[in-house]
Amino acid sequence: MSAVAEAIARGEVGERLWFYANYHCNLRCTYCLTESAPQVNRRELGEEQIVERAREAKELGFTRLGVSGGEPFLLDYMPRLVATLGAELPTIVLSNATVFNDRRLREMEPLADLPVHVQISLDHPDPEDNDEMRGPENFRKVVEAIPKLVERGIGVRIATTLEDPEAADPDEMERLCELHRSMGVADEDHVVRPIINRGRAVGNDMGVLAGFEQLEPELTLTSDGAFYSPFAPTVRGGNLDTDLLVSRTTKPVREPAEMLARIGASRPTGNDASIGIR
Amino acid sequence: MSRSGTHRTHVENGAQGDTSVVRLIDAEQAPILARPYYPDEGSPSPITASLAHVPEVLEATLPFVARILGPTAVGLRAKEIVILRTSALMECRYCVQTHTAVALDSGLTVEEVRALRGEAELEAVFTRAEELVLIAWVDAVALGRGAVPEEVSARAREAMGDPELVELTLVAAATLMLNRYCSALGLPTSAATLGRLASDGLA
Repeated sequence: MSAVAEAIARGEVGERLWFYANYHCNLRCTYCLTESAPQVNRRELGEEQIVERAREAKELGFTRLGVSGGEPFLLDYMPRLVATLGAELPTIVLSNATVFNDRRLREMEPLADLPVHVQISLDHPDPEDNDEMRGPENFRKVVEAIPKLVERGIGVRIATTLEDPEAADPDEMERLCELHRSMGVADEDHVVRPIINRGRAVGNDMGVLAGFEQLEPELTLTSDGAFYSPFAPTVRGGNLDTDLLVSRTTKPVREPAEMLARIGASRPTGNDASIGIR
Repeated sequence: MSRSGTHRTHVENGAQGDTSVVRLIDAEQAPILARPYYPDEGSPSPITASLAHVPEVLEATLPFVARILGPTAVGLRAKEIVILRTSALMECRYCVQTHTAVALDSGLTVEEVRALRGEAELEAVFTRAEELVLIAWVDAVALGRGAVPEEVSARAREAMGDPELVELTLVAAATLMLNRYCSALGLPTSAATLGRLASDGLA
């Protein structure tokens, strides 16, 4: 067993390796961690680089993969990449589900036979409330896309991001759950999490503070380097946050993984990763 | 190579040389593995604050530099003679200013510092033969190309044992590396150091 696999077994490194495929996005959400938007620098990690690192990660002992962005499906190769990753390890890819036209849906059909989930953001059961933070027409596009994915047998998870999940209106949450159930997404595939006070949320004075004591150590590779968590490679005022940077080296994956293991092992006893940031 | 969001900005910290080519990472933005190298209070050195962009390099570089430039069997006075002389020859503003203060703390006199900086005759200030030999060795190492002239080399071997010569040569070599690093990146000298140099008439 590799040193990294041992660290994963001890919980000092999360079992999932994350990739930031890109930083650009067709939306401009008010709480976006990465200040993603249509015109930002793409900062693509690259298909070959992701596959190469994923295969090494599997050998090291990682058991799951994740892809985030930006909006990953703005990259033409994303369906093919996710299929390649899914053939290696169970994979989740985060998406705003607003770019799934017929051609893209056809390209995604092979994902139905793989341990792949598309995690889609949906924050409110009402279009006005949902679109206030995520942009016009977001709700309509999402509720149109989800059934199309489900019909094709592609795994779908829904992520709801709220200012304060504890204070969420129970009736509103129930209506949201009824909505996702009606689209064929089960309760166990619905996650609710708080807005993180990083990235664009800082300027908008939103979210909960999250440092390395609050976040699970999940190695996250980007074009800027390796980070402590998928909530770490954030951007504020156009500047990349470096407080949760692990290393600039991302290849071989073993190097940042072992550095993360050192950090994970140094977390104080009683560290608080209990605020539901997933 | 990616063009990250870590934009290159100029440092505005009141220090001389507000021309840092790279952003200096403050304590709030220090990567986790760089944090042990940051002081509990006050600002980190610009070398630390710049190396923090690449934590894995910082973790290798700072212990290396500390081991070579810090306390070992060779006395700090001899090391500061090497560092200050090399920095002056290389015209590294940051290193000269910073190590002028360190040299004074290591027991060198104001006159000795001036001489090492090229502002006074070395022979008029340094009276110990072995220190003049050391300075000649440093001049050859820092400015020369190829091998050190045999005459300088022979005098150095006579004045110093092998371990001492190895260490002090490595001090000079490490200083050359730092001179180019600090000069190329335009690292700023702290306001505190500049204030001290002014009070000692060494600004």
